[in-house]
Amino acid sequence: MKMKLFSCRSWKTILLTLVFLSLQTGVIFAQQIRVVATWPALADITKQVGKELVSVDTLATGVEDPHGVPMKPSFVPRLNRADVLILIGLDDEHAWIPALLEVASNPKILLGRPGYIDCSVGIPVLDAPTRVDRAEGDLHPKGNPHYLLDPVRAKIVAQNIATGLSRNFPQHQQAFEKNLKAYVAELDNWIGRWEKMAAPLRGVKFVEYHPEWIYLADRFGMSRIGSVELKPGIEPTPNHIVELTQQIKQDKARLLIYGSQNPRIPQQISNETGIKVLRLYSGGGSGPETDSYIKWIDYTVRTLVQAVSQT
Amino acid sequence: MHLHSRHAHTARLARGFADSYPDLFSDYFRRCLCLFLGRQLVQVAERPSSARHSLRLVRKFISDHHLVLVSALTGYEGDQFFGGSMIMVLSTLRMPILGASALVSFLLLFPVLGLAQSSELESLRATVKGMEQQMQKALERIDQLEKEKSSSSARIGEVEKSVQAVQSAPTALNPSMGLVLDANVQNLGKAGGNFDFRSAELGIAASVDPFARMYSFINGTKDGVEIDEAAAITSSLPYNLTVKGGRFLADFGRFPKVHEHELPFVNEPLSVQRMIGGETQADGVEVNYLFPTPFFLRATLGGYNKIGEDNDQVSNSKPRSWSQFTYLGRLSSYFDLTDNHSVELGTTMAYTPSVRLAGDPSGGNRILNGIDLTYRYQPLSSAVYQGVTWGSEFYFNNQRFPTDDTANRSKSYGGYTYADLKLNKNWSTGFQVDYAPIVDAPAQRTMSYSPYLTWNLSEFNRLRLEYYYLNNNFRGASKAENGNQIFLQWTTVIGAHTHGFLSR
Repeated sequence: MKMKLFSCRSWKTILLTLVFLSLQTGVIFAQQIRVVATWPALADITKQVGKELVSVDTLATGVEDPHGVPMKPSFVPRLNRADVLILIGLDDEHAWIPALLEVASNPKILLGRPGYIDCSVGIPVLDAPTRVDRAEGDLHPKGNPHYLLDPVRAKIVAQNIATGLSRNFPQHQQAFEKNLKAYVAELDNWIGRWEKMAAPLRGVKFVEYHPEWIYLADRFGMSRIGSVELKPGIEPTPNHIVELTQQIKQDKARLLIYGSQNPRIPQQISNETGIKVLRLYSGGGSGPETDSYIKWIDYTVRTLVQAVSQT
Repeated sequence: MHLHSRHAHTARLARGFADSYPDLFSDYFRRCLCLFLGRQLVQVAERPSSARHSLRLVRKFISDHHLVLVSALTGYEGDQFFGGSMIMVLSTLRMPILGASALVSFLLLFPVLGLAQSSELESLRATVKGMEQQMQKALERIDQLEKEKSSSSARIGEVEKSVQAVQSAPTALNPSMGLVLDANVQNLGKAGGNFDFRSAELGIAASVDPFARMYSFINGTKDGVEIDEAAAITSSLPYNLTVKGGRFLADFGRFPKVHEHELPFVNEPLSVQRMIGGETQADGVEVNYLFPTPFFLRATLGGYNKIGEDNDQVSNSKPRSWSQFTYLGRLSSYFDLTDNHSVELGTTMAYTPSVRLAGDPSGGNRILNGIDLTYRYQPLSSAVYQGVTWGSEFYFNNQRFPTDDTANRSKSYGGYTYADLKLNKNWSTGFQVDYAPIVDAPAQRTMSYSPYLTWNLSEFNRLRLEYYYLNNNFRGASKAENGNQIFLQWTTVIGAHTHGFLSR
């Protein structure tokens, strides 16, 4: 009965369908460079650099836990069609991208190929571990990958994207460089504004759920006094929470920032210490206020300043 | 290097001086003053030998401008007036260092000074206007120094990176490795208990060259060591094709091709063990094709000696006619119903044209079919904390088995269904129901019902407690496959560990 599948007629139908489908996708996307970006913020920067030359597809939506993006098979056909893949690097996507690439049948975007654009190249990295041992939790041996929260480092990201796109499509190099220049100027303009806006953040002590905020804190002069997680990626033990609440009281920390994590523990700590709890996503694109990179950082800085003014 | 860092430090101080007290120095006059002092500090920073010169300039500034200073300051009352007088007295007494420090501390201590009246500001503005440009230059110089500093630290970063790359080069050429320990303590009802050292699985993987990668799982159990899998996979074939060859778990169904310690249960479902012969271990070759459809659709064609680690119908070492090999076709697809809900559907057929069992020399074909359906609820924003998986597989086996003096075709059906509920980041629980026939006597079957509780201490450390109730509809089942069973499993991982996409 199953053998019918292999009869001549079915094969013809299948083949025809395939040819039709491949023609169709070819026609739609023939004009533009097909970019797949892992996170919305990267997608936006790519759009700024590529403008009308690129069509950008984003895998994660921005509300996911940065280390808990579900590995959906629906990502596979999208990766399969991509001309370039743009990712954060520093092992940020190590839990899902390498396995997806194994089945995506797209040699262009494999690690080490020109289409694999790692935005962390040349980024001054923070939190690089001095001891690489899993007793320290879920480590990022190459350093903290949440560098997109620093707008100054985002200029390097834009540069990396422009370089990566030019490497694959040298015929458009001039256009990419022109767009890059305009975007970096825009960013610079915004950075000036944000630095003024963020003046009240200077010296503010905060607690984070997971080490995601160090780059932003470093840029605007906030200081981190601890994290809710016992070790990166390891949920807190009751003892750790007791110690943390004591530390919050002692150091007079003013903010507790969490994102995709469970709100229960931050709320519990807040009840005990009165610390202000703030939910902010460490990835852009989670809502209409954060759907471009600049809007996302602007929203983040504004929300932080507002929260600090309330404490 | 040391000298450089000291300069940078002083320049930072000078910059910080103006930056840290924005309110204090909002006043026009004191901002100029601050710029002047800052410039002196920068000069000292650039050329420590010029310290004496700078000090002279400060001294001169105070003696030149003390009248202006005093006239600006005498407008104030009380402490401020006292402070102003002190500066005047000290500077006229030709003790400019004390005068300067008094000025600085005065400025720092009395921020109200910033509220100078506008008329006084006008006169001050006139006095210092000429100086402003020079001071602006000083500020630019500070900025430049700052930039040089950051660019040099970026250079240092690059150097560090390349050093890292060099250091990690030898390890990068080594394959990534990991070891999984899977042990449990069990109580098999009337059969008694056992500490079951089930496996220590060594995984090794790396790229072979630009055209292929390779991986292997070497499994040590209480019965010995064997190569569970060792396969090469192409990585650069065109037309969405992938070829895999060697010994590997054939692409049959969902759980049959998953290593036992990766399952959501302690044990592989009994239906898989009986109908397929455990994990779908196979020596052979597989071709995968990813359809260029907008949704995920993937086909596998394979040819193997046999499928099933414990399948003893065929020997791996005896050459035979090509009709006695097993051929497989599989289609698997996946659909996102919404962002949070998804369905995965697969169908497999393994066809062996001729199986020659002892006692049935003429043989006959064997058809083993499978359908697998998985529903997942993974809320994007909290997939780490919540989720539901409902998975079911159904198998159908059709082949001839020898009976007393002839051989008869027998058909058997079996399968399992389970639901797994994620309680929070570390805990999950579920329930499994399994229906396992005995393939050569399909009227005999075992039903099993099994609740379980999983505690993930971390991604690499897992404890699982599972209870099985096994019910047989025939007599003579072994004690170990009957009644109540309890398992406590401990699984730990060191090093790199991934079974990749297929065993998600």
